[in-house]
Amino acid sequence: MRSISLYTERNTVIHAMDPISKLFYILFALLIPIILPSIKVSIVCVVLGLIFLLVARVFKKTIPVFSFVFLILLTVIIIQGLFRPGNQTTLFHFGPFTLYKEGLMFAFGVAFRVINIVSAFMILILTTKPSDLVESLVRKGLSSKIGYVIISVFQIIPEMMSSMETITDAQRSRGMETEGNLQTRMKAFLPLLGPVILGSLANTKERAMALEVRGFNSKGPKTYLLEEKKYRYSKVVQWGILLGIACALAWRILV
Amino acid sequence: MITVSNLSYAYQKGNPVLIDIHLNIDQRSTAIIGQNGAGKTTFVKLLKGLLKPFEGEVFIQNQQVKNRTAAELAKIIGLVFQNPNDQIFKNKVLDEVMFGPLNMGIDKQQATENAMEALEMVGLHDKLDMNPHDLSLSEKKLLCIASVVAMDTNIIILDEPTIAQDYQGKETIKKVIKTLKEKNKLVMTIIHDMDFVAENFERTIVFNEGKVILDGDTRFVFAQKDILKSAHVEAPEITKLGEKLGYRKTFLTIEEFIDYKNQERNL
Ligand SMILES: Nc1ncnc2c1ncn2[C@@H]1O[C@H](COP(=O)(O)OP(=O)(O)O)[C@@H](O)[C@H]1O
Ligand SMILES: [Mg+2]
Repeated sequence: MRSISLYTERNTVIHAMDPISKLFYILFALLIPIILPSIKVSIVCVVLGLIFLLVARVFKKTIPVFSFVFLILLTVIIIQGLFRPGNQTTLFHFGPFTLYKEGLMFAFGVAFRVINIVSAFMILILTTKPSDLVESLVRKGLSSKIGYVIISVFQIIPEMMSSMETITDAQRSRGMETEGNLQTRMKAFLPLLGPVILGSLANTKERAMALEVRGFNSKGPKTYLLEEKKYRYSKVVQWGILLGIACALAWRILV
Repeated sequence: MITVSNLSYAYQKGNPVLIDIHLNIDQRSTAIIGQNGAGKTTFVKLLKGLLKPFEGEVFIQNQQVKNRTAAELAKIIGLVFQNPNDQIFKNKVLDEVMFGPLNMGIDKQQATENAMEALEMVGLHDKLDMNPHDLSLSEKKLLCIASVVAMDTNIIILDEPTIAQDYQGKETIKKVIKTLKEKNKLVMTIIHDMDFVAENFERTIVFNEGKVILDGDTRFVFAQKDILKSAHVEAPEITKLGEKLGYRKTFLTIEEFIDYKNQERNL
């Protein structure tokens, strides 16, 4: 079945790591630059994130996301470099514009934080199956109903896409033009929406019944179909990250 | 009517579903048999232009399928889907059947006439306003057949028409096939019911693992015990009985067998 998840199967250390540790890493990437606002710290964090992406061998997959992010950041850098209030130290002129050091440094600070957070999320998303992530959250106490809702979102879109394809086949096999220019395609697409949406609502009803007969709402403790994906060093990683955050805090307060 | 040369297809690279098919399909009514997963449905979807060949060519009445959209081909070749839920998308039985004729540019009155005739043929003419999804599986299948019959195409392919049918349903389908043959249409079917094949189809093609391993007059095909076995297909019951009794003749229907016995006795 097709899937909308960005997960790519690889056999690396990062893939072997449990999803919760990766969530800890996101927390780390979020907090450290806030606690220690120095741009050097941010650079270290970015380099760390990029190393992890390289180790996980998913760097190529991040390129489209990063290109998009860079595009946005570029506008931030230009605007802040030119117009930030408090801009004093001139770096250089081009034409009627002057680029200032203060604005530029500020913009770089923002840029590094954004890249840092984006790469932390990418590490999680690209190396973890959505179902694994949800399952480990449920093990940690998330309600299994909410977990189910999250997983359904990942399933329902590919499902709607494939039912769209099925109906298109039914239509064109009975003489309705669905290929060709935009107008023909729109004309074929609009009548699709009804059956596709109604169809997936009908599916929902059936799925609810199927879940119910298999005891989805039963009160007893639940077991899991899959064995928990254990990572040997998860405790070490998680405590290490917490310790790192605590050190950063201490540094900030004491120094 | 249909010429297939050198046809190959794969859904995923490196996992071929059809391998180098060559076939010349003429006016004879034709059954396609073979194990599940042999590639039968894929084959007819290629004929219909719903899938595009990986390699090779399909010509239907001298039109190259590759250069036609499925919608254009719908005027000459109709396909009843294996799974009725994949085919039905209207909310009313009558609308479902009229969809095809209207798309082909037939005017409304003629389309209604075609639709009513087709629905009568399958015995659903008293359920015109029902929602197709409230029909039973066997009725849905009959509705799908009517939807394609109403389009009055020269070629009609039925993908497993007898699934979920009781005796009555099978008799209805037999009647439809007979009527279509009388109108000089090419009827093809994919089917697992060998008795049905023997009674209704002149030619039989056996698919196995993406290849055609046997092709010919139905009587000839059902006499090839060993090849059938290798394709995991069994001959019709009466054929097997005749063979067990040691007759050299290959029987296809019970009537044939009885006639033969009577003649034998009279000698
Ligand atoms: N949409 C699809 N995507 C991928 N594989 C498919 C698809 N449809 C069928 N297949 C595969 O192609 C092979 C042939 O299927 P099919 O043509 O439906 O066989 P048959 O109709 O003879 O039972 C099977 O192995 C099936 O799993
Ligand atoms: Mg099939």
